[in-house]
Amino acid sequence: MSGHGPSGDGAGLGGHGRPGGGAGLGGRAAIAGIGATEFSKRSGRSELRLAAEAVLSALDDAGLSPRDVDGMVTYTQDANQEIAVARETGIGELTFFSRVEYGGGAACGTVVHAAMAVATGMAHTVVCYRAFNERSGRRFGRPDSRLTGEPTSQGLEMSWHVPFGLMTPAAWVAMFARRYMHVYNATSEDFGRVAVAMRRHAATNPAAWFHGRPITLEDHQASRWIAEPLHLLDCCQESDGAVALVVTSAERARDLRTSPAVITAAAQGSGAGQMMMTSYYRDDMTTLPEMSTVARHLWATSGLSPEDIQTAILYDHFTPFVLTQLEELGFCGRGEAPDFLKDGSIELDGALPINPHGGQLGEAYIHGMNGIAEAVRQIRGTAANQLRDVRNVLVTAGTGVPTSGLILSAE
Amino acid sequence: MSVPPMSDQELHELAGKLAALGEVRGTPARDPVNEPMIRHWLDAMGDTNPAYLEKGVAPPAMAQVWTMPGARGPANERSPVNDLMGALDASGYPGVVATNCEQTYHRYVRIGERLTPATRLTDLAGPKRTALGVGYFATWQVTWYDEADEPVAGMLFRVLKFRPAAREQASQERAAYPLQPAINQDTAYFWEGVQQGELRIQTCADCGLHRHPPGPLCPACRSADRSYRVASGHGILYSYVVHHHPPVPGRETPFVVGVVELPEGVRIVGNVVDCPIEEVAIGMPLRVTYRRMDDRLVLPMWAPGEA
Amino acid sequence: MEIGAALPELSIDLTPTVVVSTALATMDFTPVHHDVEVARAQGSKDIFLNILTTMGLVERYVTDWAGPAAVIQGIAVKLGVPAYAGDRLRFSGTVVSRAEGRTAVEVRGRVSLGDHATATVTLTEEGTGR
Repeated sequence: MSGHGPSGDGAGLGGHGRPGGGAGLGGRAAIAGIGATEFSKRSGRSELRLAAEAVLSALDDAGLSPRDVDGMVTYTQDANQEIAVARETGIGELTFFSRVEYGGGAACGTVVHAAMAVATGMAHTVVCYRAFNERSGRRFGRPDSRLTGEPTSQGLEMSWHVPFGLMTPAAWVAMFARRYMHVYNATSEDFGRVAVAMRRHAATNPAAWFHGRPITLEDHQASRWIAEPLHLLDCCQESDGAVALVVTSAERARDLRTSPAVITAAAQGSGAGQMMMTSYYRDDMTTLPEMSTVARHLWATSGLSPEDIQTAILYDHFTPFVLTQLEELGFCGRGEAPDFLKDGSIELDGALPINPHGGQLGEAYIHGMNGIAEAVRQIRGTAANQLRDVRNVLVTAGTGVPTSGLILSAE
Repeated sequence: MSVPPMSDQELHELAGKLAALGEVRGTPARDPVNEPMIRHWLDAMGDTNPAYLEKGVAPPAMAQVWTMPGARGPANERSPVNDLMGALDASGYPGVVATNCEQTYHRYVRIGERLTPATRLTDLAGPKRTALGVGYFATWQVTWYDEADEPVAGMLFRVLKFRPAAREQASQERAAYPLQPAINQDTAYFWEGVQQGELRIQTCADCGLHRHPPGPLCPACRSADRSYRVASGHGILYSYVVHHHPPVPGRETPFVVGVVELPEGVRIVGNVVDCPIEEVAIGMPLRVTYRRMDDRLVLPMWAPGEA
Repeated sequence: MEIGAALPELSIDLTPTVVVSTALATMDFTPVHHDVEVARAQGSKDIFLNILTTMGLVERYVTDWAGPAAVIQGIAVKLGVPAYAGDRLRFSGTVVSRAEGRTAVEVRGRVSLGDHATATVTLTEEGTGR
């Protein structure tokens, strides 16, 4: 194993305790606008229309016009090409466009690319977006035998798993979850506490699909098996919808309509021996090395530490990896996440409220993009479940895949 | 028994002749109705009804048990039914599946009684198209008599003798398994191995590193000189999932998929089979087994093994 | 024993021991009921219950409910999918008729592949009947 990750452990120690310590992207760009469609099980509209609506809404939020946009970033998996969204929204010339790979691992990565473009002058105003009819159209939770259709590197990787019927995200994650339970004596209830907290948060968020519909731990335990050890209520609600973000320089953002969410740190991460979602061959299967890479880079370049974070948006397509992320990000020690959850730490009044909007388990599954929008609202002070004195929010992207993360800060 | 193949008409003619023989007596039961066999049967069934042994009678559903031939009994006593079955086998209908078993009990038989069976072929219908394939329904009636020649129990029994649907299509292609792996020159050795009942693990011919899943270059020494060794076939279950939902093409749910750790130092994913799901556990010893999925694909799977 | 009354369900774990011990207790030594290699070679996925055992289990299911005074008059079984070792056989039943001291019960024995047996069991009561 060679340690050639994006950051050595000693990188970016510049700014102890202060955001934007100067290394990496620190503080040079900001999110100046957020926009979204409604979240539903059936949007009734094309994915391109959803993308265009969210982009226009984000530009309105920032007080910018489509003509101000010169860069666009989305996910490799998005079905709407940048040029198509540009045509629909009246965005003109583009000097920067890029796609980020690996499913939901791309979420914060879109902001990483946008911030790099802004910091280097490749573009001045970059729109990041994700739009899909993931519920009424093609659902990721459905088995797709085309996963092994071609001998591409990914098709070959999938070919060690799919022929055995191991071909849904829930089952891929369940394989890690079972091992975590075995090693740390964790239980299904420990995963259930994440679901209960997310649904409680969503219950008071009017934009959430599960607004007004909290669940109990008993509901979680009684819900049917999807892929043991995962119950139905360990899985997020597949959704239709779109979210867009506007990234520009921190300096310019200060002059716009809303207070900026400064990008204090931004990172992508892939571990050694990484696979798309089946990295079963490299360690004891109780960790997320790619998230560890992201975490080390975020802490090192921001000069911040877990105590400096008021709330975290952790990617929660399935409950088990929320526990692993708490450990990888340093909010608790290895194997301690079950106790951390039992103490109520992730509740709105806990030590580290997680996903005040209800996460993807409670608000909607927009591939992590809706979580970034929530982080911006928490910094602006405009969230449905607004927390007090939010200065720094940590956001993560897809888990079990090559991933990304952000620390966003108030000015 | 060697019987020439018969046409549909010949089969019906044979059935008519055999039915005309009427009831044909079989060999009397070797043992009279007895308490040890009743107790053994009740134990095996988990039947705790005390009435039988208290009253000295046999459970009525044991009627046929008393006249079974036993482990070393005559393999195939000559009877109208066996003659017809032999003719159907020879005529291309080797498959057999029972469809109906209707027993009527005139009275409960007492310990000490000795029963004698008698069989009468009653009907042959077909050929008919069924889900299993084209076949004939044969029906016969067995009656059990006591020592006074009074009937104590009767049974209508019907079987479908069929030509398996798969055999009908043998010249065409077997239903293709939908979850085929993508294979290229870096991975073909593995899939060729399982076809031959070998679990092949990639090794580096230069530095000896074992690696699974495999690849074109050795990540340790950059050698492109790839070889493999045949694994012992033993493994330990490292983690697993029980897939329930949604349905997976080509699979019946629930099924188990595990990560198996091999003594050769690598892990591999495969299904855990031949084990009740509730007995699957991390750490269980496994041994490899092979399943043919269709004409093209064999998959390595894992069954409980010795520690 | 009213018409429409449901019998309590019975679930039997079909361990290899259950399949083998019942086959032998019914004097059925056909290899597919005790030899997994032979069963597979013949295209079955495992050893499976023999018919005499299916009859016995249906009888047991009904008498477990009806009690020791019941006298079974007949059991008519329609056979469905095989009941393989490793599966679970779940019995349910309903009283479907009752006339002149004779009660008819419909029994379903289900396994994961579907209905293994659908049966009608006729019984009377010892003496006068309830």
